[in-house]
Amino acid sequence: MAGNENRTCEKMEEDLVLYYYKELSGAQQTQVETHIKDCAPCRLYLQEMASILPSTVMNDDPPATFWTDYNREMRLKLSEVREKKAWWQSLLGLLQPWPRPAFAMAAVVVLALTVTLGKTFWRPQESPPDDQALIEVLPVAENLEFFKNMDVLDAMDFLENSDTPTTKGTT
Amino acid sequence: MKLGDEQLVSQAQKGDQAAFEELVQRHQQKAYRIAFDFARDREEAKDLSQEAFLRAYTHLSNFDGRSGFYTWFYRILVNICLDYKRRQKRAPAEEFNETIENQIEPSHPTGNLVTPDQQVIAGQLSRKVGEALESLPPKQRTAFILKNHQGLSIREIAEIMQTAEGTVKVHLHRAVRALREDLSEFA
Repeated sequence: MAGNENRTCEKMEEDLVLYYYKELSGAQQTQVETHIKDCAPCRLYLQEMASILPSTVMNDDPPATFWTDYNREMRLKLSEVREKKAWWQSLLGLLQPWPRPAFAMAAVVVLALTVTLGKTFWRPQESPPDDQALIEVLPVAENLEFFKNMDVLDAMDFLENSDTPTTKGTT
Repeated sequence: MKLGDEQLVSQAQKGDQAAFEELVQRHQQKAYRIAFDFARDREEAKDLSQEAFLRAYTHLSNFDGRSGFYTWFYRILVNICLDYKRRQKRAPAEEFNETIENQIEPSHPTGNLVTPDQQVIAGQLSRKVGEALESLPPKQRTAFILKNHQGLSIREIAEIMQTAEGTVKVHLHRAVRALREDLSEFA
């Protein structure tokens, strides 16, 4: 036995549980039996299981009337489910003979509507998107600025030219 | 000649209502006991087991015979019971404790106990057992109930819980260890 005298051998614990429930094979069972002969804590563990575990079971034995009611209620509930099932089946049954033609017709109608309405509402994009327009306009605007500057320069030239005779005159 | 479960299922799938009712008759007591082990209340156990039969009936077309009807049906039942426990846990704590006490005391067999002391101890044990089982994680509780209360084999439990046999052994071991600790005063 390994460990403390009052404690079960930890490695054996699972086997003890399975031994208690008779879930071990022949060889494993013999191994446990050999072990518990010399191991008092494991023997105690088994005894405790035998004392505690059966007490966790609550025996409930309902009277015959309970089972009569049980069966009556069960039949009622089953018939309700059957009725619901039958209702759905009859509804599906109505659709059953013509589902393919119906779906085909619906698909054709949707396609026709898409084409007709599409032509009415759809227009090709004539104006370029905003960003594109800005890119196109920017050089033009820059040119305008340039020409404006040129105008100023021209004006200065004109003034300079108009000033020239007087200057010349004064000198 | 008595038909097997699978033959009855096959007939029920073809619309034979009597075949399904025969399946109900065959499994109702065991189904009720499993539900009772989870709910610890007679009326709840009745409702839960009946709900399992109804769900099985509704989904009968999904039963493909890969596992036995028994395994398939008890899987449905255990899931319904676990859902019920989850719903119950979401209920306010005070109401929950009250429900547990009301459930356990009337149905626990204390009538054949001689002295009032014995009856008190039995009542305490019953309450403590209920609490100890409640505190187990759902998978441990399921493995424990199916093994300890219903006596199913590890293989059957593994099939119902759709897990490996080794995993069931671990759940069972942990459940027993926890219960032993919680209930050691009654050993």
